[in-house]
Amino acid sequence: MIKARTFTDARAQAHTNAELNWWIFMRISGLILVFLVLGHIYMTFIQVSEADATYVAVVNKLSNPAWKFYDWLILSLALLHGANGARYSIEDYVRSRPDRAWIKGIFYTVIALLFAFGTVGLISI
Amino acid sequence: MYKGREGQWAFLLHRLSGLAILAYLMLHVFSIGSVILGEEFYMRIHHTYDLWPFRVGLIFVTAGVVYHALNGLRIIVMDFAGAGVAYQRQMWYGVMALTLLATAYTAWVNIPRILGGY
Repeated sequence: MIKARTFTDARAQAHTNAELNWWIFMRISGLILVFLVLGHIYMTFIQVSEADATYVAVVNKLSNPAWKFYDWLILSLALLHGANGARYSIEDYVRSRPDRAWIKGIFYTVIALLFAFGTVGLISI
Repeated sequence: MYKGREGQWAFLLHRLSGLAILAYLMLHVFSIGSVILGEEFYMRIHHTYDLWPFRVGLIFVTAGVVYHALNGLRIIVMDFAGAGVAYQRQMWYGVMALTLLATAYTAWVNIPRILGGY
């Protein structure tokens, strides 16, 4: 909760809270993703061959709402976890402020488009 | 870059594997998500990814994910348990050993498939 009377104070507080929330999010989503992603890799790459991932097989699998939800959970958690992780790297290694701004702008746009694309795909199949 | 022995390599590998997994994830969402663009579009991408360099690449993706997942657990243990920091070096060697083991198993299962083309 932000308790500030000026915009500067609010921004300072919001910044700190957001960073802490992202820090917590990385640990919680990471813990969940360990099971979701390793399970996903085991079921779709180790148990069966990459060659088996045909159009028909994917559509068949995704006709089950449980797999839709499983895959959507990976999609949303992994994209957010990955986007925030990449943000850490951008903030660490891109030294100029204007460069950081446009790199992040393009990067977040691509992530948002991919999330929309994947979500629409999972719902409509 | 600080010189923190194993901790430094753990950090560097965590970042590199994370960025590599993100790059793969973005391609993966696009290629698998392309089921909504029709069978022909999807299968054209699928046949490309069926070429052997991409299938060998998947073994490395798996290795990256296993390392990132296990080292992430190591980070969580370090953050939330005092003893975790004291044993971070030993845990990192455990992470490396399990990553190598999982990668060897993935390669052992997949290389015959790649050579046999199935």
